[in-house]
Amino acid sequence: MREYELMFIIDPRLTDEEIVSLADQYKEMIQSAGGEVHKEESWGKRKLAYQINKLSEGSYMLFHVRSEQGSVFREVEQRLRQNERVLRYMTVRTDAGRLRYRGGSEQEAEESAAAEPATSHAEEKE
Amino acid sequence: MGARGSGSRGSGSRGSGSRGSGKKKFFFHRRKVCRLCADKISTVDYKDTRFLQQFLVERSKILPRRISGTCAKHQRLVQQGIKRARHVALLPYASE
Repeated sequence: MREYELMFIIDPRLTDEEIVSLADQYKEMIQSAGGEVHKEESWGKRKLAYQINKLSEGSYMLFHVRSEQGSVFREVEQRLRQNERVLRYMTVRTDAGRLRYRGGSEQEAEESAAAEPATSHAEEKE
Repeated sequence: MGARGSGSRGSGSRGSGSRGSGKKKFFFHRRKVCRLCADKISTVDYKDTRFLQQFLVERSKILPRRISGTCAKHQRLVQQGIKRARHVALLPYASE
């Protein structure tokens, strides 16, 4: 399993309901592609560090996604790109990205990640 | 921040003047320790703008290693984090 973060910035002129429905749409897209959105953050309106499309504010949304493969983002990213109300989007892998520098293999990281929930599960039984 | 860099260089040369016997140039270097190594940080989050701002000069350029003292490995992480934060407009590409 790999962990990802998908952040996107929506036009702040949209109403809250519109933003929520848009976010839900993207969430469903990820889920139907086989990804799990286990955490969802809405930062609300935030000032942008620089203007995008002549806007100085944006509504930030952040998805924490778990998936086997990065290909779950193929459709969402395409939709995000096409949607003019989405000012920016970015997908980042958040698990074990540093292993590249340590010389460790990805397999090791996934094994240790798999071992962790197993131990917590055992504790629950007790 | 740029001013700070030149300031430390100035004090370094002053130190050489007072200390040196006059024969050889004496440069005083204070060994800088990588702040991320000291704190044992292994990942840099692009969302943590407070942290990343410490590695930006006033005009939001990335602080060079020779001034911040960051080790190569951590500088790469910081650099990556700043660039990501810039893309999603959490940090500016250039200010002023």
